[in-house]
Amino acid sequence: MRTAAKVVVTLAAGALAVYLPFTLGPGNLTLYTLMGLAAIVAIGLSLLMGFAGQISLGQGAFYALGAYVVGILATPADLFPKGRGLDPLLALVAAPLACALVAAVLGVPLLRLRGHYLAFATLALHLIALALIFTWESWTGGQIGLIGIPPLEVAGRTVTGEWHAAVVWGIAVVTLLIGLSLVASRAGRALRAIATSETAAAAAGINVAGYKLQLFVFSAALAGLAGGMYAYLLQYLSPDAFPLIVSITFVVMVAVGGMGSLYGAVLGAVAITWLQDRLQQLGTRQELLGFDLPVQAPQVFSIGVFGAILIGVMLFFPRGLLPGLQELARRARRGRLGTLAASR
Amino acid sequence: MSALLEVDELVVTYGPAVAVDGVSVELKEGERVALVGPNGAGKSSLLNAICGLVKPAAGRVRVDGRDVTGVAPGRIVRRGVTQVPEGRQVFPSLPVEANLLLGAYGRDFRREPLLATLRYLRRRSAIGERLERVYALLPALRELRARPAGQTSGGEQQMVAIGRALMAEPRLLAIDELSLGLAPLVVQNLSAFLRRLNEDEGVALLLVEQNALLAFELCERAYVLEAGRTVLTGTSAELENNELVRRAYLGGGLEVEA
Amino acid sequence: MIGISTGSAFALVGIGMVLIHRTSGIVNFAQGSFAVLGGLFMVRLVDDLPSGVAGLVTVVIVAVVGALMGLIAVGIRGRTTALASLIITLGLALVVSSLELLEFGDRPHTYPAVSEHAWNVRGVVIQPQYALVIGVTIAASLLLALALRRTIVGHALVACADSSRAAELVGLNVRTLAMIAFAVSAGLAALGGLLVTPVVPVNYDSDVAIAVNAFAAAAFGGLGSIGFAFVGGLVLGISEQLVVGYVDPQYNLAIALVIMLVLIGWRSRHEVVT
Repeated sequence: MRTAAKVVVTLAAGALAVYLPFTLGPGNLTLYTLMGLAAIVAIGLSLLMGFAGQISLGQGAFYALGAYVVGILATPADLFPKGRGLDPLLALVAAPLACALVAAVLGVPLLRLRGHYLAFATLALHLIALALIFTWESWTGGQIGLIGIPPLEVAGRTVTGEWHAAVVWGIAVVTLLIGLSLVASRAGRALRAIATSETAAAAAGINVAGYKLQLFVFSAALAGLAGGMYAYLLQYLSPDAFPLIVSITFVVMVAVGGMGSLYGAVLGAVAITWLQDRLQQLGTRQELLGFDLPVQAPQVFSIGVFGAILIGVMLFFPRGLLPGLQELARRARRGRLGTLAASR
Repeated sequence: MSALLEVDELVVTYGPAVAVDGVSVELKEGERVALVGPNGAGKSSLLNAICGLVKPAAGRVRVDGRDVTGVAPGRIVRRGVTQVPEGRQVFPSLPVEANLLLGAYGRDFRREPLLATLRYLRRRSAIGERLERVYALLPALRELRARPAGQTSGGEQQMVAIGRALMAEPRLLAIDELSLGLAPLVVQNLSAFLRRLNEDEGVALLLVEQNALLAFELCERAYVLEAGRTVLTGTSAELENNELVRRAYLGGGLEVEA
Repeated sequence: MIGISTGSAFALVGIGMVLIHRTSGIVNFAQGSFAVLGGLFMVRLVDDLPSGVAGLVTVVIVAVVGALMGLIAVGIRGRTTALASLIITLGLALVVSSLELLEFGDRPHTYPAVSEHAWNVRGVVIQPQYALVIGVTIAASLLLALALRRTIVGHALVACADSSRAAELVGLNVRTLAMIAFAVSAGLAALGGLLVTPVVPVNYDSDVAIAVNAFAAAAFGGLGSIGFAFVGGLVLGISEQLVVGYVDPQYNLAIALVIMLVLIGWRSRHEVVT
């Protein structure tokens, strides 16, 4: 699809996505918001992984950082000792900026690493972030958590519920558009060159380190922005909200949805978030299909069945759902027309 | 008696791209045949399909009259066809001798590593003899036997790759881009060696080669491939004198008359 | 001393990760699960069998499980990508974890150490279990290194790691070899797990921490070197233990990882880190 067509489709679908929250019931609203948040992070990660070939198992760290920045800056001091009580919108802007700054500083040494070293370093990043959350108790509330985060306020209007979801998906749509234009631009070609072969790209005069860093910073900022909106959603933060599995799940979303495809990233984010929610719900029921579920059922379901589904999806759609479905469509079309050889 | 290798209307595709578009090749016992053509003509794809690395979309490959289309590489090796891959592809971490031994082991591997290991241990003396024969054919390898293959030169690696392919006692040796990245003198020596191998041991050669001159020199017959199709075929002598071939591949048409 | 024991376990699990990766290119997220399975099976078996036999049986059982998981992780020939395999191992780890939860509950489990009486070697008090752990780890590592360099199957495994294409061309069955690598790695991990369980009780969700440590140990050598994985594991175990007295337990892993990162960074100054 040409970029122009993609932009039109995205805008159309985006308008729908932003409108949708107003038609959903309260139960589905939170889920829908979470999907949107995941989509924002996934798009950034997809650019990093699919187009620049860098793997990051640490997006969760930036997600957490963004959330805590909002928490600390926006919460008034009477509710939380170290809270700054700043204007919520300001706090929201600060979140991605803080993440961008941290990513810029850490990215320089980090991105010198490649492949598994980079994967490990970003994983370590997440764990270190968790450790810091625990240690800087006065700033983060430690294990007990940070309570009393006010809702987002824009121009005097409180943004909660459907409006919050709409804003989240609005951000997601804008992010998608930025991603599409990036991919189509010269920078996008440079990124793809880097993903194919860094040495070849460097030889062609591409500033490999510069591009990698910029993309790393961009994806971190996106994760931070999403984290900030997450804080406004929960209005309460604790390290339990950001276990290591969060970072891993973001990578799974991109892989399941389709590597090297921005739409795939959104699809993956939506699908995985939905799946996790469904499984959690199934597990909390007392009985299923006539069988009494054991006491550990919720966990068994969300962990075990989730794992089984991941295995199945990856075996049948190794490149992701979106490319897999596209391939099926292509084969169906070719089946009707006959193979090239036969038509000669 | 059927030919050693018969390829019938082979089609190889990678997704929507067609790399080989209905090519037929025939090779008799002890022959030296070349596949010539520019980059991207489908020569390597054809070879990989013959050797079982790639499953063809259509067409047949027969060795000794037996259909081996789409069969796993191991079984092709057992039928007597081994490949010296493009770029050598030696096992750099392993010493040269281990590289060679794996050539023999791979032939017997079948499905169970246990059975293969037992077979290997039982036939250690037979394999030892084969190793000695390869060392006799390629004396330089004996000197290098303990060196990690990754620490040898390009020409030496090519010898390791050839030696490894010979350890399976092939009747047909398929070589993908012999001359790639090697100095002309080295290529000359290898070419001479291959010719001797063919004449003395009766090992047939299927040479995929961009360097047409080398191909015509070493081989008796050739197929010219372009864009996945056979455009010409004949003896090397015929092709060398063909106007089109000369202009395209031999830099001909620019003869300066004194 | 505890640090050396946990470090040895990390080393064994990490070495397994390196072996799998070198042979099949897969990063096995389920390495930690193998260790936990080792510990849990041992807990069950040690009531009915003498420890040595129980240990052997455990290792064999987990090795078989490992081979099966390897078969699934390697996936469908020509279709499954490296990233897909990685996620499959993640999925497998999750499935195993949930089964452990179902069977063993969510309490930590342990079994008695090999002997309660400490040895006194020239004034240094050594618990026999610790000595057992480090001793077996060294022996197993040496055995593996030897097997890879001397036996033909070992050569075949290394060949797959070097070039799976050439390995296939030569006639090696890369998938079967990958399964062997999985089985051996699972066995090693199980060994590490069962040895260290008397020292550090094991739970159904211990696999995450173990996998992270194993990955760190393996990453120390770029997932390519068994020697570095061995050293890395020990460094991790010891550094985690050293900080235990001084800082919050939440810090342990993080500090150890920082040390690992520093070490990797230091190494990369002397070579291109790929």
